Amino acid sequence: MMNKEALLLAAIFAPIFGALILPLLGRVSQGLRNNTALALVALSCLCSLSFIPSVMGGKNIIFSFALPLSLSLTFYADTLAVFMAVVSSFIGAIIVLYSFDYISHYDNQNEYYLMVVLFLGAMMGLVYSANLIYLFLFWEITAIACWRLIGFYRGQRDVLKADKAFLVTVFGALVMLIGFVAIFQQTGTFNLIIMRGQVLPDIIVALILFGILSKSATLPFQTWLPDAGVAPSPVTALLHAAVLVKIGVYVFARLFLMTFMISSSWHATVMMIAGASALVAAGAALVETDIKRLVAYSTISQIGFIFLGLAAGNMVGAVGGLLYILMHGLAKGGLFLCAGIIEQNAKTKDITRMGGLIRTMPVTAMAFLFCAFSVMGIPPLGGFFSKFMVISGGIKSGEIWLTLVFIVGAFMTILYLFRAFTLIFLGESKGYPSREGSKMMVACVALLAILSLAGGLLANYPIGFLKTAGYQMVGLLK
Amino acid sequence: MTYLLLFIPFAILILINLFPREKRTEPAFWLGLAVLVFQAGAVVASQFGYWGTILTSQLESVFGFNLQLYKMGHVLVMASALAGATALLVARATLKNKRDRFNFVGLLLVSLIGINGIAMVTDIFTLYIFIEVTALATFILIMLNREQAAFEGAFKYLIMSVVATVLMLAAVSLFILIGGGTSFLDVKMAVISDPLAYTALLLFLCGLFIKGGMVPFHGWLPDAYSSAPTAVSVWLAGIVTKASGIYALIRLMVIFGGLEPLQNIMLTVGAASIVIGALAALGQKELKRLLAYSSISQMGYIVIALGSGTVLGIFAALFHFFNHTLFKATLFANVAAVEEQTGTQEMEKLGGLAQKMPITGLTSAIASLSTAGLPPLSGFWSKLLIIIALWISGHYFFAAVAVLASVVTLAYFLLLQRQAFFGLVPAALKEVREAGPILLIPAVFLSLLIVVIGLVFPFMIQMVLR
Repeated sequence: MMNKEALLLAAIFAPIFGALILPLLGRVSQGLRNNTALALVALSCLCSLSFIPSVMGGKNIIFSFALPLSLSLTFYADTLAVFMAVVSSFIGAIIVLYSFDYISHYDNQNEYYLMVVLFLGAMMGLVYSANLIYLFLFWEITAIACWRLIGFYRGQRDVLKADKAFLVTVFGALVMLIGFVAIFQQTGTFNLIIMRGQVLPDIIVALILFGILSKSATLPFQTWLPDAGVAPSPVTALLHAAVLVKIGVYVFARLFLMTFMISSSWHATVMMIAGASALVAAGAALVETDIKRLVAYSTISQIGFIFLGLAAGNMVGAVGGLLYILMHGLAKGGLFLCAGIIEQNAKTKDITRMGGLIRTMPVTAMAFLFCAFSVMGIPPLGGFFSKFMVISGGIKSGEIWLTLVFIVGAFMTILYLFRAFTLIFLGESKGYPSREGSKMMVACVALLAILSLAGGLLANYPIGFLKTAGYQMVGLLK
Repeated sequence: MTYLLLFIPFAILILINLFPREKRTEPAFWLGLAVLVFQAGAVVASQFGYWGTILTSQLESVFGFNLQLYKMGHVLVMASALAGATALLVARATLKNKRDRFNFVGLLLVSLIGINGIAMVTDIFTLYIFIEVTALATFILIMLNREQAAFEGAFKYLIMSVVATVLMLAAVSLFILIGGGTSFLDVKMAVISDPLAYTALLLFLCGLFIKGGMVPFHGWLPDAYSSAPTAVSVWLAGIVTKASGIYALIRLMVIFGGLEPLQNIMLTVGAASIVIGALAALGQKELKRLLAYSSISQMGYIVIALGSGTVLGIFAALFHFFNHTLFKATLFANVAAVEEQTGTQEMEKLGGLAQKMPITGLTSAIASLSTAGLPPLSGFWSKLLIIIALWISGHYFFAAVAVLASVVTLAYFLLLQRQAFFGLVPAALKEVREAGPILLIPAVFLSLLIVVIGLVFPFMIQMVLR
């Protein structure tokens, strides 16, 4: 058992402290730095993977170091946490691999790898934290890393957008912190395991929800996410598709499904916000011409679906919502990375000025298509199963009309992704010279596309795993 | 033993003046630094029981001249050692005139005597005396470079200080009239029994608000900070204003913290300072003025914590007091580096300096984020404790103000970072290089402390709370 605890700590602190030596390694050799960065993330992923048999068997791993003022350092690996950790670190590792070529000709690479690995380490800390204060602490470290990464190119506009993202998410987080302190006043502890099963007053739920929605870029806090598209593409993939925006969703599941009982009116409220968010963002994606902004709007829209599943208050919805995190991470990460290849090789982000790219970059085109199919929810890709489950969860919860809104949203998803695909890859070339991305980058997007497909064909395994998480949720016992 | 904290600076002050005029600048610097190292060492040693007992003075005078070094005094003595060492190093690098450098050391020692005195006092009259000693040295320090703007800044400070002096002296005489004594205990008895003594206490607090630059008495502070040489700004912002105004407030609130009207005053003044200071900082164009307004805002956090009327609040206030020295001294040292290398501290003319001055850029980012209360830096913990103290004691509104003003804090520091450090390098600054080691050492050391304290604080708290 001791062994598992050490692995748990390694999963969190290897990338966090390892990140700090990356700039030093970068002075010695770029290759060494890049490979170490990848190794750190992969190590974290492997540690998390090794917990799967144990948590499937119902044996959760706890590391606890007692400290006064309820500041005990407690890390807790249950099914939900392990799932989230594996998904983020795995997609993170692919993105780091992709960065090797993408980022190789820019300044400030040392800072780039430092921040990416630190970000992933903080993400690990966040998902494993069983203490609200440490959860907040890691939450804010991700915000700091995100700030530096969005402003990576250092232009006036880039830095402004980075500041905007930082301010919006920190504002939300501080409101959430008030909620945490209020929880402390009520329960006398910050420890999530101890407060399991407590009923949470509405005002605290509202405060915490504020933070969650701002981090997950859901209406009315969504505007920072498309703006953050000024970042390098692997960063947008990392932050806005695979990991960062999932923080809010994860905390929602952790607090409102796993830990606290909240009044059922919140479920309808969250579903309504999510529905509006899904629809508005899908509408914006329909008319957007900047490829990265388009994919970012699509993310906002898809996050709405995840909230639908988690807020539905039944098993199918909750498992579907969590499965959505995996499937969307793979597919949307793939789309952002494809966008990165297109943007670097076609030298533009405007989809109306592209066309016919399928001839020059066939692999990227196919990868884009498969990832897009998954996001649209076309069987047998992974996205189909998750979308199907959240929608049936919505119907089961009795909110037929609200669920109908989401079905409209899903239809719009198909429209805007086909529009994007057609404009970018089909038709006549508009005379822009273009070529396929580097081998490594193309391999990364192809891998994500294949995984999206495999996720669908083998959907049984993640669903079975997530069901064990579902059985542990207090929010479903009603 | 505690008197050494007064005698040693005094003895060194005399000693450095005994050197021949041409050769005295160097030894003065090193002796000054030695005094500060001794201060820090004394505090560290006392943590290990070396100074075990609380000493009471044998000196008796009309007003019961009692000196004690309480545990909370350690924070002040330590903070003054850190800020003083930073100020000395910055002065060595930035003050070009030998005579100025020498005078700086001397005046720093004088105000250090005042600050160490404030750390030990047990009666309100002695407190007043030491505040005046500190202030006297400070007036001259601000005018050190003999510039027009500096005279203006010092004059403003002088006028406001005189008002504060009048208020405090009047209060002291009222205490003597009513209670017959000026020790904190006598004053407490008087305040409980007599409304006139209560009024006197309010007058005294007003004086301290002026000294600490709290809203609505903050007018002098940005002028004084920004017109003084940067080395002096480090000393002023790092410790002097806080020692003579804010620390004295903490000291008094330890005694009177249970009185509800006083709590309400602290909450209101604190909240007003937090908000007005932060909003004003957003509109600044010069680095030093921005940091000055930021100081007002951060002092507000300390004062608002005192209003919670809890031990946790006092502890949080002291902790934030110490943290403020760390990050504000770092930031002013960064400003000194920027000014030294680029010749300006106007933010519009700067940009992208993190690429040219990576260490300055990194330390300023750490200090900025710590001020804004972002984890895992030390400023996060003190702000968290302040918020918890306010919330638990039922001051929900003020807790919310404290939390939300952090966003404004972050906003003005992002403004500073965007305009000065983060971003692209303008053509005029292509040739800029990193500052020399003398300016980097304090910044690196202090920001390292910020990070380390931030990381180990949860483990440290057991020791502190005992």
